[in-house]
Amino acid sequence: MRMNLNNSTDYDCLIIGGGLSGLACGITCLSEGLSCAILSSGMSALHFSSGSVDLLGYFPEATVVADPFDALPRFIDMHSEHPYARCGINTIKEALSFFRQEMAKADLPLHENHSRNHFHVTALGTLKPTFFSQQSVFNQEIRSVIDRTPAITIMNIQGFRDFHPGLAAANLKRHKLFSACDIQCAEMHLPEKEKNPSPVHAMRSIDIARLFDTMDPDEIARHITAACPDGDIVGLPAVLGIEHHNAVLDRLREKTGKIIYEVPTLPPSIPGMRLDNALKSRFAAMGGVFIQRETVEKGTIADGRVTSIRTKNQNDTLTAGFYVLSTGSFFSGGLVSRFDHIEEPVFNLSLARSPEARCLGSENFFARQGHAFLSAGVITDEAFHPKTPAGETVENLFCTGAVLSGYNPVNQGCGGGVAVATGYVTGRRIVRDFYAITNQRQGYPDLP
Amino acid sequence: MKHIETDILVIGGGATGTAVARDCALRGIPCVLVERTDLAAGTTGRNHGLLHSGARYAVKDFESAVECITENRILKKIARHCIEETGGLFVSLPEDDPAYHEALVQACRRADIPCREIDASTALAMEPNLNPAVTRAVTVPDATIDPFRLASANALDASERGAQILTHTRVTGFLLDQDAVAGVRCLDRCTRETFKIRAKVVINASGVWGQELCRMAGIELIMFPSKGAMVILDYRINNVVLNRCRKPADGDILVPGDTVSLIGTTSRRIAYEAISDLRVTDDEVRTLLKEGERLVPNLSRTRVLRAFCGVRPLVAASPGETHGRNITRGIVLIDHQQRDQVKNFITIAGGKLMTSRLMAEKAVNLACRKLGENRPCRTAAIPLPGSEKPISPGVRALPFSESVAQSTYYRHGQRADDILEDSDGGTGLICECEMVTSREVAYALKHLHVKDIVDLRRRTRIGMGPCQGLFCAYRSAGAFIEHRHTDGTDATKMLIDFLEERWKGIRPVLWGDTLREAEFSYWICQGIFGLGKTVASSPGRGEGVCLADEFE
Repeated sequence: MRMNLNNSTDYDCLIIGGGLSGLACGITCLSEGLSCAILSSGMSALHFSSGSVDLLGYFPEATVVADPFDALPRFIDMHSEHPYARCGINTIKEALSFFRQEMAKADLPLHENHSRNHFHVTALGTLKPTFFSQQSVFNQEIRSVIDRTPAITIMNIQGFRDFHPGLAAANLKRHKLFSACDIQCAEMHLPEKEKNPSPVHAMRSIDIARLFDTMDPDEIARHITAACPDGDIVGLPAVLGIEHHNAVLDRLREKTGKIIYEVPTLPPSIPGMRLDNALKSRFAAMGGVFIQRETVEKGTIADGRVTSIRTKNQNDTLTAGFYVLSTGSFFSGGLVSRFDHIEEPVFNLSLARSPEARCLGSENFFARQGHAFLSAGVITDEAFHPKTPAGETVENLFCTGAVLSGYNPVNQGCGGGVAVATGYVTGRRIVRDFYAITNQRQGYPDLP
Repeated sequence: MKHIETDILVIGGGATGTAVARDCALRGIPCVLVERTDLAAGTTGRNHGLLHSGARYAVKDFESAVECITENRILKKIARHCIEETGGLFVSLPEDDPAYHEALVQACRRADIPCREIDASTALAMEPNLNPAVTRAVTVPDATIDPFRLASANALDASERGAQILTHTRVTGFLLDQDAVAGVRCLDRCTRETFKIRAKVVINASGVWGQELCRMAGIELIMFPSKGAMVILDYRINNVVLNRCRKPADGDILVPGDTVSLIGTTSRRIAYEAISDLRVTDDEVRTLLKEGERLVPNLSRTRVLRAFCGVRPLVAASPGETHGRNITRGIVLIDHQQRDQVKNFITIAGGKLMTSRLMAEKAVNLACRKLGENRPCRTAAIPLPGSEKPISPGVRALPFSESVAQSTYYRHGQRADDILEDSDGGTGLICECEMVTSREVAYALKHLHVKDIVDLRRRTRIGMGPCQGLFCAYRSAGAFIEHRHTDGTDATKMLIDFLEERWKGIRPVLWGDTLREAEFSYWICQGIFGLGKTVASSPGRGEGVCLADEFE
């Protein structure tokens, strides 16, 4: 663990919430020499994500964005409360580039389409615009093959319950980009292993991914080829390993002579877990302290500053120079909805809107406008400082990611981008404020 | 145009309609049943699933009470796999009028409803979650009944005995032969095919929808629909049916059922036009939770899974009755030849889930008189398929865990033998919440008149548990492709319809863990599946989720 530079507190920066945003913030702080700890209550929402990182997918309304950096200025103009408006476009760019570099260092290369969006194919055969994807979902080779109306086989592993190629194929065929393609469904057998832990039909994606990590890729390749002798692209459920997915993928590509494409399916999401692992390994490698399975019982605010937080399991009181609330939205527990109100449970921060709980959902589940619960959250100032119910700004507390209000991660296709950008920008601000204070104490002039 | 000939045509696939079809089949009379949507999709599947002892009616409606206890005894024999003999309690709280307790006990005795007065501590020993303020209680032979299972078993028995069950088939008009009904014109809503059914007698068992149906035959039958809302809790917080010992009012019944408990009901008169667009209001949810909490205080800390409502089909007994003064909650059997001078047409309405078998018996008796038949009704004596004898899961080696086998027996009675041993369909779980295997799904798709995933839910309980159906619905869509060779786009549409149907019940109770679960489902559906962007979800739009330009 890195020594904290300010000996009066436990950490320079204490982050509550170990998801995409909290980790992005933590890594940013660590990269500038601060000591940093993350308290994480459980599984990251990344385990329920596609594993790609969206920046801005739809604007205006449901129109697909091809070039997000081209669309962002107007988007920000029209959404002044959006976290992107508070980050600034250059910082968003910087955040993404930082994030990509860090993931590459953790052996998870992320691919982008010359700073434009690309799409990923979903398990229901729809196309979703996104910005960063893992190499099994987007790379220049996939891009060039798509242009040649390839023969596509969507393939399941026989017995696997959580992927149904027929659903993907039928919808994909209806898409104009693929209407001329020959799209087939197939099933491959899982190579016999001496000790398959259980039958395939009892396995979740994670169980199969672990097998892929240990099986001989050449044998998997033989089974793929047997199930699909022809065809240029094989779309498999995203289970191609967690630890060794890069090696598995390269080997399968080489042995089958086909493009192996991963389609994320029912959770846990293997591509999401790879992102989560890469983030955590970077955070740990840089000296961050990741405290698992710990929740914050209560945070104390006095005179517009957080003075300490108390943890639930260990009943520890922890202090830091800066605190970051990256606890996510309702699902992750960052926001709590009661019968007649919603609240932020750690600090009881001011929320953007407190509609009656039962107004949080639209009439239809797939309503065009989405749901009010998606944009509920904490209100902050331009620097992501929240407010107490009394209206007092909390100077040493920042909020990032899904606990923030003012954006709709699904309808705007910006969940991952907001998490990364707000995490990064907050990390930068903490670093700046931290050195300003330290230098002042040590009699140095402020950094420019 | 396709056309079907039969002796008796029954319209409506609820508890009554399916019981009519079974009754006909058991008498050996050819019969066809048409149902606009699915079996038990209307009022039948939208109640609390209480197998009344009759005690609830004993004080005010003696005749209903006697019908209930009689049918209670019959159903416990013929439909045992649909019933859980939980027993019931009428619980007095300090604020309840003690005189009602005395009146209830007396009325039960008069109606031959076995009851026993017990003190507070005995009641609390029976039901530890009960409000400790309870002053005394009465035990009655209440039980729980799964109305989906009952209707499905009726339909299964009927079809195995030769009746034809046509679900998702809408009656578009009557075939009239001078002053007689001769059959109906129908539309198969799945294939869009139209056809005729000719029948010697037509029985209207369409419940509250009977008003529209009768209008098609030129007959005025006024219904006074009364909406009843219910709330489902995520845990089985009680094991005995709990009734408040007071004059029946809102929120005074708490019924355990399978893995959940249910608080019922409210009663609000609604306009007839509103029956097809029912919503549970905040006010109803609030009332039910407030009253339910009086019965079981820890209810307020229990996750609410969903809320739903049904319509009681109260009928105006005589034509011209429009003010609802002369309405009855009892069984209404109408011979339209006598009432409206329209021959060969019968309406069976009113009544309750409890009396559905009896209603069918009365209707088929009348139909038999019209047909000149005198074969006796056998529905009270012959058990439904699965209920032949009490369930005793064998010790045979099955590739299932004990709990999976138990759940299958619980739902299908002895028919579970066929399901568990059928090698068609895998042994994997489709629904982990309710432990539904892919074999059970394959069986339901093969035998139980299932046309979509919502129907499948009513036959198997997929999607009824805490997750409210995401994993199981996606896997079920896969099962339709595998077993039915359903087109992938149609299977996608079924998946969307299923999730929209579940949402109707979730939305009124969108707080706490229910909101968390909903947010989770929404992320998966949109973030991972992109379901909202499928062609099926937005006909004609295609959403343009196409970066083709990017790739040109």
